[in-house]
Amino acid sequence: MGEFLRSIPLFWAKVLSISLYLLLALWVITRPREFIYRGAPDRKGWRDLRWWAMLLIGIQIFLYLIF
Amino acid sequence: MKEVLAQHIDLFLIVVYLLAIFLFGVLFREYVTSTEDYFLAGRALPWWVIGMSIIGTNIGAYDYVGAAGGAYRFGIAQANYEWLGAIPAMIVSALIIIPYYWKNKVYTVPEYLGKRYKEGVRVIEAVIYGLFLVMLLGIFFWASGIMLHTYLGWSIGFSIVITAIVVGFYTISGGLAAVAITDVVQLGIMFVGGFAVAGVGFAKAGGVAKFFQALKASHPQHLKVFLPLNNPAYPWLGMILGLGLVLSPAWWCANQSIIQRALGARSQWDARAGMMFAAFPKTLIPLLVVLPGFFALMFAPSGAINNPDQALPWVVKNFLPPGIRGLVFVAFIAALHSSVDSTLNSAATLWTKDIYQKYIKKDGSDRHYLIMGRILTFAFIVFGVAFAPFTQKFPGIYVAMQTLLSFFQGPTLATLLLGVLWWRSTGWGGFWGLSLGVVIAVVLSAAGVNFLYVAWWSFVASLLINVVVSYLTPPEPPEKLRGLVYGFLEKDQEFKRAVEERLNG
Repeated sequence: MGEFLRSIPLFWAKVLSISLYLLLALWVITRPREFIYRGAPDRKGWRDLRWWAMLLIGIQIFLYLIF
Repeated sequence: MKEVLAQHIDLFLIVVYLLAIFLFGVLFREYVTSTEDYFLAGRALPWWVIGMSIIGTNIGAYDYVGAAGGAYRFGIAQANYEWLGAIPAMIVSALIIIPYYWKNKVYTVPEYLGKRYKEGVRVIEAVIYGLFLVMLLGIFFWASGIMLHTYLGWSIGFSIVITAIVVGFYTISGGLAAVAITDVVQLGIMFVGGFAVAGVGFAKAGGVAKFFQALKASHPQHLKVFLPLNNPAYPWLGMILGLGLVLSPAWWCANQSIIQRALGARSQWDARAGMMFAAFPKTLIPLLVVLPGFFALMFAPSGAINNPDQALPWVVKNFLPPGIRGLVFVAFIAALHSSVDSTLNSAATLWTKDIYQKYIKKDGSDRHYLIMGRILTFAFIVFGVAFAPFTQKFPGIYVAMQTLLSFFQGPTLATLLLGVLWWRSTGWGGFWGLSLGVVIAVVLSAAGVNFLYVAWWSFVASLLINVVVSYLTPPEPPEKLRGLVYGFLEKDQEFKRAVEERLNG
């Protein structure tokens, strides 16, 4: 098992981490609007936390692609 | 003459900072009239204060030194602690976990676990976290003493007492509100200091692009975010499984010092937005902690740095011009203070709410618990000051703290996740999952397993034990779980019937 893991190229670590980010993005974007705005004083677009999360995930994917 | 003037500027900056922070305590004192004010800032914190306070709490001076040392030795892989090891967990915490804490109006994470499972789970979690936070205080005070002694020449004892007086005063008088607002100021100072270091470093290298070209040419491995499995500190699988999937979610979803700010939010949206907002400065933290390590690597003459942890002190002492040096030093003090104040306030909250109010004096007035919270805060300061000198007897204390964290982070996360996400998890399942998980973590650690893998396997074991014991014990009654478990209402037959009846007129 250890031998097998050591033989995996580092490239796949990157693929795995980016895949996790993409899965997280998919989960975030499917959260209902009602839930996201719960407790918010209004429904302005900037309060939609899904977009905050997507921006964060986008930045992360970019960073993991370049390093 | 120039050097003397520079020293005076540095000292002036430090004194101004200490006085300003002291004044916050005076200003906030009149707003604290109840335990809710003291422990949760009257549940009035806006999202941006929560976000900045969370990051101020998260970054300590130890992180500065340790992370710069890690970057000096291993490179950008150190940034995993701020990226993969933080951002996904912060998003999950904001969107799944925090709403459950917030709508149950709890003061502490163990209080939620007690409601969801049973009192035994609350006691175990409160005692473990309570002891951990109190021990942490001693280490923070010692670090503060060392820093002031190194840079200003004050004696270590005097430096510790000054720190205890300043931080203790505003924490005792102003409670969480004072702690959160000072955290905002302290985070601002940290970033100004960090950007100043980055500016000086890049200017010295002839620009950002030139610097990274030179770094890539001389140390290509330092720009790789994942390192091979045989790396002693940051093996890629350990980073993804141990850090990304266990230690980080446990930290961002179950750490009292972090979560307490969200519990003090003025609305559920502010609580979630606060955590999400915190993820933006968190993304930039490598600028503060990783870049100084790179500057030391590129600019320090051969043999100047024997221990990686000397990377940052070397940059501050030999690299920065006077004035900026004082600013960066104030940023270190701010980082340390923001961690001390939060730890103090959270330790007092845990011990007052989960231990004192629950088991020692159940029927006291709110004023009584407020006074007790302040007395405990003071007692923890005294303990921290007294314990601080013992820190020097443990040279590997920072690693020891990480190891200690890995004993209970995995089991805590497993217990919390199953508690929030799986209605079938029972009180006994939570109790045995948490306790045996901690035992397994201790055994694995004693066997010499890397702490990242200890966290992962104790998490998996705790998860399995919880599931098995839950299936062997009767399910919890629906009325106990309402509002505590994700999606439970959809599985609650009684609720379903009520909705159907209403729809059918």
